[in-house]
Amino acid sequence: MLLHTLNRPPSSRVLDQALAGMGPEDRLLLIEDGVIGALPAQRERFAGVAGRLYALHEDLAARGLLTRCDDAVRVVDVEGFVALTETCERTVSWY
Amino acid sequence: MRYAILLLDAPYTSQAAHSALRFTRALLARGHDVEGVFFYHEGVHNAARLAAPPQDEPHLVDAWAELGRGHDVALQVCIAAALRRGLLDEQEASRHGKQGFSVEPPFELTGLGQLVDLGLRCDRLITFGP
Repeated sequence: MLLHTLNRPPSSRVLDQALAGMGPEDRLLLIEDGVIGALPAQRERFAGVAGRLYALHEDLAARGLLTRCDDAVRVVDVEGFVALTETCERTVSWY
Repeated sequence: MRYAILLLDAPYTSQAAHSALRFTRALLARGHDVEGVFFYHEGVHNAARLAAPPQDEPHLVDAWAELGRGHDVALQVCIAAALRRGLLDEQEASRHGKQGFSVEPPFELTGLGQLVDLGLRCDRLITFGP
């Protein structure tokens, strides 16, 4: 099981590359501008990783999006980010 | 666990340096060993000792140096990426006949082999890109 991080918004082609590169058990953590993908309007784009999608609390808060986050997205703070890297065998960064 | 960080972008350019710093601090707070932070590509600018950001902004260069000294984290700067961007320590400045220098300890200029070594030696290598 790998952790993937994505720091680009859903409008970026990097999202497609990240989704294509993910295994069936892998987790996806949205960071920096990537957290825009945590909005309910983006739910369909991330349907393939439902239940395995995370967003970074600090980056959501910095963009005023904390209360607008989709309920299906698991919000973790930086300590939770560290915990994900502990659990996952390797981390792949998409940028 | 033993961790290494790879940082690929300059301070104040993208969020990468802030993200990497926040993550590294969280690692230390959870009791992990951070064996090294490797600064590569534009990331070498994090080692610029002459950086003088406004006082009401985080001083990223000083923040890295503090981590290096206070937590024994090796701050390794890719020498090939650094030299071509004008980031030279005292020894390299002298070798290239330059007045002044722009990198000082705890940052150290090292080869790319050190990044490979960190990757092999550590349990986790986390990359922060532009």
